[in-house]
Amino acid sequence: MKRLLVICCWLVALTVRLDAEDCFDRVNEWLTFTACHDLIRTRVSGLMDLEGYAFTQPAPGLLYTDDNKLFNSRLTLFLDAQLGPHVYAFAQGRVDRGFDPSDSSEQARADEYALRITPWDDGRFNLQVGKFATVVGNWVERHQSWENPFVTAPLPYENTTAIYDAEAPASAQDFVGARTDPKYEYCPVIWGPSYATGASISGRLGKFDYAAEMKNATLSSRPDSWSATQVGFQHPTLSGRLGFRPNEMWNLGVSASDGPYYLAEAQRSLPLGHSLGDYRELVLGQDLSFAWHHFQLWAECYEVRFDVPRVGNADTLAYYLEAKYKFTPQLFGAVRWNQQLFANVPDGLGGAASWGRNLWRIDTALGYRFTAHLQGKVQYSLQCENSGASDFGHLVAAQFTVRF
Amino acid sequence: MNFRHCLLSLLLFATATATARAQAVIEGRVKLPKTHSTPVMNKRYEIVTAGGVLAPNPPVAVVYLAGAFPKPTNAAVAQIAQKDLMFVPALLPVQVGTKVEFPNLDNAYHNIFSYSPPKRFDLGRYRSDEKPLPAQVFDVPGLVTLRCDIHEHMRGLVLVLETPHFMTTDTDGHFQLTNLPPGQFKLKAWVSSQSTLEIPVDLKTNSVLHVNLP
Repeated sequence: MKRLLVICCWLVALTVRLDAEDCFDRVNEWLTFTACHDLIRTRVSGLMDLEGYAFTQPAPGLLYTDDNKLFNSRLTLFLDAQLGPHVYAFAQGRVDRGFDPSDSSEQARADEYALRITPWDDGRFNLQVGKFATVVGNWVERHQSWENPFVTAPLPYENTTAIYDAEAPASAQDFVGARTDPKYEYCPVIWGPSYATGASISGRLGKFDYAAEMKNATLSSRPDSWSATQVGFQHPTLSGRLGFRPNEMWNLGVSASDGPYYLAEAQRSLPLGHSLGDYRELVLGQDLSFAWHHFQLWAECYEVRFDVPRVGNADTLAYYLEAKYKFTPQLFGAVRWNQQLFANVPDGLGGAASWGRNLWRIDTALGYRFTAHLQGKVQYSLQCENSGASDFGHLVAAQFTVRF
Repeated sequence: MNFRHCLLSLLLFATATATARAQAVIEGRVKLPKTHSTPVMNKRYEIVTAGGVLAPNPPVAVVYLAGAFPKPTNAAVAQIAQKDLMFVPALLPVQVGTKVEFPNLDNAYHNIFSYSPPKRFDLGRYRSDEKPLPAQVFDVPGLVTLRCDIHEHMRGLVLVLETPHFMTTDTDGHFQLTNLPPGQFKLKAWVSSQSTLEIPVDLKTNSVLHVNLP
């Protein structure tokens, strides 16, 4: 951890130098390799993140610590390879304290790797295989720290629900009761960018685009499940998105996903005669983005249904509206309104109860790009669960990112 | 055309030729680096991508005559387009005070910006049919690096010079600067942000100087 921290600090110090921009451009050229008369091109690039969080307990979103502050550093390396005009491959590896910020020890992982074939130049059809981000929604394209105006993800991608994928609830009472297990055991409706393993097809036809994927794990599945060595394809998840882009300014899309969400170890806790494939997560999503000059707007809405053993359908709706504006060439601000609402389910006592706490959250952020390779962001979030004043939670976060 | 018109045309042509010959010319070659830039596009999170590869950028140099020259009376206008997800040209020399327009010739958004000290700006996201064309006036000499906030691989350079006498070499390094005033100057060749070659030159009227750099 100390070594990573020293490297991060050294890179930040190097980057703030005025001539560092040119230096980083030269590093970029050194990290680009070509062969066969430029037919094969590869480039190594990366992100170095230093993050600090201070918050009221319980830790919000996918932050894992019992403390009320957390420091996290992350080194992300990317490999992009263009193999002739029709084949593209990429990979992402990380050294950090867990896929989501936590106080655990340092670890290294291969988070993404994929091969994409584009037979026609107009992009009417792409085939991609590997371990890569979901095609659902529009947040994935800005989920890395450099593109994300905030430090944290929107609510649908990080707010854990009562869904526990390792064991089915013993009863409806058990499901709607207070959560007793560590937060990491519970799942959000979509776990971050969902780098599950599988294959996708996508393409553009005029103003429309399409994408469909078959993955080994559902959208709510935890990062440990995304690798094909952990979860196979016995119960695949199918997802898709249809997009409409009337012009460069607007991008509208509808998404859907369906797949079983229980891990294999949950089989023993399922009702007799039922299998993992019987309990599914169904996601319907709508997304919108708009951009014009220095203003950008994104919105996503997800209607999600989990089929829960001994309970029935557990429905939730999660959405957010996010806007970013560049005040100057280097200073930008962003604001995001998030909300998640939970439906009632039978409580096992003859009545009905909500299977989660309704909540809203407002995220605000200010960011500054010191150079084309160094960015700083600060974020403040106010979260309210149900309606009591004591249910307010606060988060302050800061993040420095070096891009090379 | 009658005889008088023919005579007048001949006189005008002769006068123009004599004026051109009164100016000096420098021609020669700059030794260019052997490496060339081959951009690799990051398509990781684009759900739909087109086929094809980005054009490589062969090395070129900017050759210019350094010295004290009067400022231009009329502001010049130049263009750097965004075409096929590249800056065209990738290196543009301009004289101080030049207005550079940035037409978007692609069917996708671009967001051109620069954090270089001589010129910091961000044009925001704009379409191919944007009118008036997004533009910036480059009024401080120096090297300005252009980037696109959407396409990480895009990189262009504007070299802002205090002289009106400059040109970009061809990809073999050949150049020919014409219409130069007589006198003693320094001939410079900008090869990269790390390397600018220079040599003193003594220009005489109606002369053609051959110079190779280095």
